[in-house]
Amino acid sequence: MPSNERGALKKLRGWFRGRGWTPYSFQKEAWAAYSRGESGLIHVPTGAGKTYAAYIGPLADVAEGGRQGLQILYVTPLRAVSRDIELALWAPLEALDADILVESRTGDTSSSVRQRQRERLPEVLITTPESLSLLLANERAAELFAGLRSIIVDEWHELLSTKRGTQMELALARLRRFAPSVRTWALSATLANLDMAARAAVGTHATPTLLSSDLERPIEVRTLLPDSVDSFPWAGHLGFSMLEKVGAWLDPARSTLLFTNTRSQAERWYEGLRFARPEWEGLIALHHGSIDREERERVERGLKDGSVRIVVCTSSLDLGVDFGPVERVVQVGSPKGIARSLQRAGRSGHRPGETCHLLFVPTHALELVEMAAAREALQRGEVEPRLPLRKPLDVLAQHLVTCAMGGGFTREAMRAEVREATSYRELTDEEFEWTLALVREGSPTLRAYAEFRRVVEVEPEGRFIVADARIARLHKLNIGTISSDATVQLRYWSGGRIGSVEESYVSRMRPGDTFLFAGKRLEFSRLKDMTAYVKPAKGKVSQTPRWYGSRLPLSGSLAAAVRRTLHAARHGDVTAEELAAAWPVLDAQARLSRIPAAGTCLAETCETREGHHLFLYPFEGRLVHEGLAALLALRFTRLRKATFSLSVNDYGIEFLTSDAFPYEEALRPALFTRERLVEDILESVNLSELARRQFRDIARVAGLVLPGLPGARKSTRQVQASASLIYDVFLKYDPDNLLLVQARREVLEQHFEQNRLAGTLERLEHSPLELLPVRRPTPLAFPLVVERISASLSNESLLERVERLKERWQREDARSA
Amino acid sequence: MATRRCQVRLGGTEVELLPERGLYWPERGLLAVADLHWGKSESFQQHGIPLPTGVLEDDLERLSRALRTTGARRLLLVGDLIHSRRGITAAVRERIATWRAGHDVEMVLVRGNHDRHLKTLPPEWRLDVLETHTDEGPFRFAHHPEPATGRYSWAGHLHPVVRLSSGADRLRLPCFHLGPSVGILPAFSAFTGGVDMTRRAGERIFAIAGEAVVEV
Repeated sequence: MPSNERGALKKLRGWFRGRGWTPYSFQKEAWAAYSRGESGLIHVPTGAGKTYAAYIGPLADVAEGGRQGLQILYVTPLRAVSRDIELALWAPLEALDADILVESRTGDTSSSVRQRQRERLPEVLITTPESLSLLLANERAAELFAGLRSIIVDEWHELLSTKRGTQMELALARLRRFAPSVRTWALSATLANLDMAARAAVGTHATPTLLSSDLERPIEVRTLLPDSVDSFPWAGHLGFSMLEKVGAWLDPARSTLLFTNTRSQAERWYEGLRFARPEWEGLIALHHGSIDREERERVERGLKDGSVRIVVCTSSLDLGVDFGPVERVVQVGSPKGIARSLQRAGRSGHRPGETCHLLFVPTHALELVEMAAAREALQRGEVEPRLPLRKPLDVLAQHLVTCAMGGGFTREAMRAEVREATSYRELTDEEFEWTLALVREGSPTLRAYAEFRRVVEVEPEGRFIVADARIARLHKLNIGTISSDATVQLRYWSGGRIGSVEESYVSRMRPGDTFLFAGKRLEFSRLKDMTAYVKPAKGKVSQTPRWYGSRLPLSGSLAAAVRRTLHAARHGDVTAEELAAAWPVLDAQARLSRIPAAGTCLAETCETREGHHLFLYPFEGRLVHEGLAALLALRFTRLRKATFSLSVNDYGIEFLTSDAFPYEEALRPALFTRERLVEDILESVNLSELARRQFRDIARVAGLVLPGLPGARKSTRQVQASASLIYDVFLKYDPDNLLLVQARREVLEQHFEQNRLAGTLERLEHSPLELLPVRRPTPLAFPLVVERISASLSNESLLERVERLKERWQREDARSA
Repeated sequence: MATRRCQVRLGGTEVELLPERGLYWPERGLLAVADLHWGKSESFQQHGIPLPTGVLEDDLERLSRALRTTGARRLLLVGDLIHSRRGITAAVRERIATWRAGHDVEMVLVRGNHDRHLKTLPPEWRLDVLETHTDEGPFRFAHHPEPATGRYSWAGHLHPVVRLSSGADRLRLPCFHLGPSVGILPAFSAFTGGVDMTRRAGERIFAIAGEAVVEV
């Protein structure tokens, strides 16, 4: 083989060896597969060299070809790491004597660079799925992408089961039209369903090549145990009682990433550690997605050069390129999933063969059980599958408008192209026509949308384009599928950007309120033009911003492991040190009620000043419980009229009524029947907030709600309405709208995790129910009571509810008077 | 089901708070409503956002019902009658003209911020237009909520809503918010969001719960 190897590839191999690296077999296989014109998936542990496996082959082609313009597209889900990727992709160029430009184009790219790129794209472009869609909306898209040789999609497992992944699949289908010989290589770590992931990456018209390696990453997992579980909280999520222990365990001599599950938790821990160990000032840093990019980059550089030793971070550092020196990883709070634990552990000892060190820090007593379960599941290697979404029409609608802007499309060709994306391979003609109608005239019921025009059809060839410049501008602001609240820039009065927070948080603040952000104590002054002006605060702060999207549900694999672990504990097996530490709490649970067994379902009834409670513990994770809660509440109300307050967490569900309810009578196997499951879910969905909440994202993606971006013009204010309001309007005036249908389907598939829900019902129907009256909320019930977040389901008339609420209010008024 | 109004005594006279989202003053035969936002769905459609038409039809129907059941002789529109200039399409303009022709009452608009988008209103709507406010007996009517010396002010603009909750049971309803010197009318249009109101000392809140007005 080396004898007939072309010059550039030879030089690149030489460069590779010159750095002291020997190509792994998967890398050599990848280079060979590329040169045979294949596409596929490279699946190896973090840090093994996936990037060069996918990059060296096409790079050699670019050097040999001597052509200008875009030829390699590198897509990363995280714009924060684009700079690192840029450096990694630059490095091999030193071996080549070629005029090759490597550049990024993301939301962070300056307008001058963008302007230049509009004229000419670099040979190698690093971008995000969203920025790629923006490029597809360019009128010259076909021309810009015509010379593409290879598309590399990094961290494919992160995108796969999200709408970003679906958007990426559609973009890939489009790119294959522009450059028919383009090869696609997806890069992924920690994934259970590799074959499915590979097929999603290459589309329906190709057979993927799957490359893996047998490189092992041994993982050493430990849990930091509280000294005494008696003083350890039964609920909560901050984990501050462990702060001192963690502070003593951390050592600036060994570089460490400390992961938290939410940004507000990261803020608190950063603040707490700085307070506990003031001598670490400068060695410890904070990193999360809302912090200003320059500050994040400073922290990342510090990690790499060793000047920053301990970083408190969130999922913002889950992904990305080599940090080199990170030795240890700490996970504060439940990891929520096995793949996630693996991924985070993999941030340490970032070299193949090197051991990863992961330390779990529980934030409440029951998390000790989760951690014991996670440790066991990690040893078994039970990674969760990530399933691609099934033909979401909101994403398709957005993509159709994007393509209409980017040179337009014809009906037949577009339908065929869309079906080449694996997610849409079963898209029916009707669904395609509906979606096209949605962006053309609003809905098949033409009359209802008299003034609506987004995409128009022009003769003679029946090309669909966007003719209105204003609509095009609005669409560009709206591209993307990441759902988030409108964000507001945070700035000092004196100038200087600090980061961004969600508008809903800022809108609750009054001038003079103080809060913690990016490790700084700030005082809110005023909100103007999507910018919140602040100044340094003196003294104690009152609050920490809360961000949406921070509540991850317990994964199916981990939930099953938790049930097994509890079952063992019920039978006295507390050999896991976490269980031994949690024993006083488990013992209290056993005395007040029972520890749940794997083969039965525990239920508890309880009467308190708040009303009549039923606690049910299926241990299936928050999402399944949300669905189950709404479904069971509906079935309860068929037995007797009542209003339930519902509260769910990863372990169970709480039903609460003001008046007594015959729970015992209601809790028969028939309650859990799978008959009429979909109908019942839909009925409960109509009554509950779930579809409305789901619709928020759909409305955003389909372009019904405009994001309140800082760049948005004032004129868009007249067309600002909340998704909730739009949902009401649709429900009343266009109840058959496909986006409402999709909202219901997404609730079924994602929120209710329909298949998992059906499985759960089957389990509950056939397993004996252990129903116990308890005197007060048990350790398992306590978190549900404390953290009550709820959807409300009622079949009482509005007026009855108002009257009842009013009575309460008056009684309370009378008491306080 | 019969609708339930609330009677309130203010400034030496009696007014009625209607579940149709309006205020009726029997002594003068005057019906006051605010924030109608005519053509809002159509504004969205013009911006490429596919919202169904239908809100306007329902809103007009409810306004007709309020006029009919009260027997009002005058209709006072307390600002933000239209949503935006682009929303007043030929079809909307014509629909409103037809509706107007069916009501033989005097109609007066006190302009609000949104109404500035349209310099002159379609003449066939037959509306008298006042720029800032109108004083009637003990009351002042103006779009923006501001106190007036010697008079009780009625205003709109805020789209007040009230949150009711008991434990985790929550409701959000449009409401009348009556302060010591300023009363705020609910937004008339069903296609409006709202600002949460809290009740302080000396204030009263009347929520619109379907067909009834309930003091909370």
